Amino acid sequence: MINRISRRAVGALLVSTSLAFALPAAAQNEIKIGYNADQSASGAAELGLSGLYGFQAAIEDINAKGGVLGRKLVGVIRDDAASPPKSIQNMNELIDNEKVAAVVGPTNSGNALAWLHIPQQKKVPVVSHVATATDITARYAKEPQNYIFRVSMVDREQLALLAAYAVKASKSKNIAIIADTTGYGQAATKDLQEILALHGIKPVAVEKFGPKDTDMTSQLAKLKAAGADMVVTGSLADATAQVLKSMEKMDYYPGLLSTWGSINTPLINIAGAKLAEKTIFAASTTEDASDHATALHKRLIAKHPNMPAFVSAAQGYDAVMLIAAAIKQAGGTDGDKVQKAMESLGEIQGIIKTYKKPFAKEQHEALGVADFHLAQWKDGRVVKLDNEIVKSLAAADLKR
Amino acid sequence: MTAILQALASGLALGAIYGLIALGFNITYATTKTFNFGQGAFLVPGSLVGVSLLLLAAGKPHWGNLAPSEMTLFTYGLATLASVAIVGAIGILLYYCAIKPFVGVGGLNWVLSTIGFGIILQNTALAIWGPASIAVPSPLGNEVYRIAGAGIRPQEVLVAVVAIAVMVGLDFVIRRTRFGKALRAVAFNPQAAAIVGINVEKIVIIAFVISSALAGLAGILIAPITTASVFIGLGVALKAFSAAIVGGLTNARGCVLGGFLLGLIEALVGLWRAEMREITIFLLIIIVLVVRPSGLLGARSVEKI
Repeated sequence: MINRISRRAVGALLVSTSLAFALPAAAQNEIKIGYNADQSASGAAELGLSGLYGFQAAIEDINAKGGVLGRKLVGVIRDDAASPPKSIQNMNELIDNEKVAAVVGPTNSGNALAWLHIPQQKKVPVVSHVATATDITARYAKEPQNYIFRVSMVDREQLALLAAYAVKASKSKNIAIIADTTGYGQAATKDLQEILALHGIKPVAVEKFGPKDTDMTSQLAKLKAAGADMVVTGSLADATAQVLKSMEKMDYYPGLLSTWGSINTPLINIAGAKLAEKTIFAASTTEDASDHATALHKRLIAKHPNMPAFVSAAQGYDAVMLIAAAIKQAGGTDGDKVQKAMESLGEIQGIIKTYKKPFAKEQHEALGVADFHLAQWKDGRVVKLDNEIVKSLAAADLKR
Repeated sequence: MTAILQALASGLALGAIYGLIALGFNITYATTKTFNFGQGAFLVPGSLVGVSLLLLAAGKPHWGNLAPSEMTLFTYGLATLASVAIVGAIGILLYYCAIKPFVGVGGLNWVLSTIGFGIILQNTALAIWGPASIAVPSPLGNEVYRIAGAGIRPQEVLVAVVAIAVMVGLDFVIRRTRFGKALRAVAFNPQAAAIVGINVEKIVIIAFVISSALAGLAGILIAPITTASVFIGLGVALKAFSAAIVGGLTNARGCVLGGFLLGLIEALVGLWRAEMREITIFLLIIIVLVVRPSGLLGARSVEKI
């Protein structure tokens, strides 16, 4: 009896050791790219989920063409559920255990700000494909090497576009700001005030509400009393939906401009499809923006029929393309060399645009206000906004 | 003028939510002088169980989003009954786990044990449903009723009607029925109540079941306003508790009055400065506690918990 057990144990041991030997051999031929983003929890989780679909599609495309430097790309995927401690843990695990060459993520700016020091110290390039806080790429800008890059919207830049539109669209030049009391909402309020000042405009009212509030009629009554005909809000989709519902209660519809959080479906789920059409928001791309975008959208929607927010899928796709190009240029996965290659990339065809030298020492944003446009929900889909005001926006209007 | 009317309408709508939840504190306090500090967490299964049943009936996974067409007044009614029954049953568990070991022992052990039970319940829900919130359409539609320019939604009216109906019902049961007499007897003196043949434990369990069932009812009723999620109870339960304290924990009418009062203050102060809302509410609570320690409508008493 004892004999049989021990024989089995020896057998198991043999199998497991041979597996352990086999793994590194396979791993040496692979290049791992980490994905660490909220795909399930916060109001922005859909951006992380769509981002993953784009991330995977890019890896598929690269592997179909023989991989990078003859090696296969492998995505290592982690969900941080919007929790900073979990995000930090994921980051350490991806870098120390999985030995990823680069990381794409996260969804939530707060999580990025919680772990930026880890990839920076361990010399692993990161491309933020969703998180928008201005400080993410700026924190290590003064270091000899900044390992943090971004292929996403940048708050300051998207607010610049919203402010420019508000100034053009407002007849009375009475522009107001309403935002939730989270760090995101208050940072947006501060940025907006500064940008509007560049236009020579002082907002007629600046209001705030709690992130869980469901009735903002009192705050909106003040905007109405101040005569605001354009309102800019910096909040996540669920809060913006509640602002719209309160506007409906009051039958008060100034132009409502919001950040790209409005691209998430909680906006239409909570506010209803018709009411959701009443906000105009910033986006880097929509599925109808270019042939590349249409093709990727068609392919992803065939695989993931419920895919929300195409925009972050495009950003996730482009992030992988830029990383792969940098690894190829660096001739390996050494973090220090890949970082340098990122800053001296040539021309790369992406989904959002053709990137021409996207990054440099002083420039870690692949996208800027010139790449963004305005969008709107229409019959349950996000479409590009193309009215007279948008057409009249010139580069000089985009003050920031 | 319209702004003030709107603030009144919004304040009453908000206050109805607080009042409805506050009623859950009333019945157990009236019986055992304890209540469920984790009441907010009981809204979570209330909203999520009901919504998931509707989702499953529509052939979707239990955590998806409901379309307005997948909800009728009839199915919503059934889901509400299921929520009330299931969360009511959790009340029995609450009694045996978090109340019974500490009843009559004195001290504040029951405070922590009920908070702990709530946290366990909330985290169990987190494991089942995940952290995302579920948008729930109202079975009464999303049209806005307009009264002299002020808008209010049918679901908000429904919450107010239910809050007042439950208040009247509880008031009647406690003041006019044999069961209510037994409840009051247990509250007054459990030993004496037992001597005259009242099954004290049974009465107390029923009180906790009613209290929990009310949280379940509140959860599913407010889901179309706040969305259903694991975090549904966080903010509102504290306000509801404050409403109960201000109005009087021992009095169902006081709980609902306190709820409406808080809602109105919140909306009206919001017209002035949004960041002053909570400051005003909690200042008011302190003042009320100083002037009338047992709340506006609460029975004056000298005993201490």
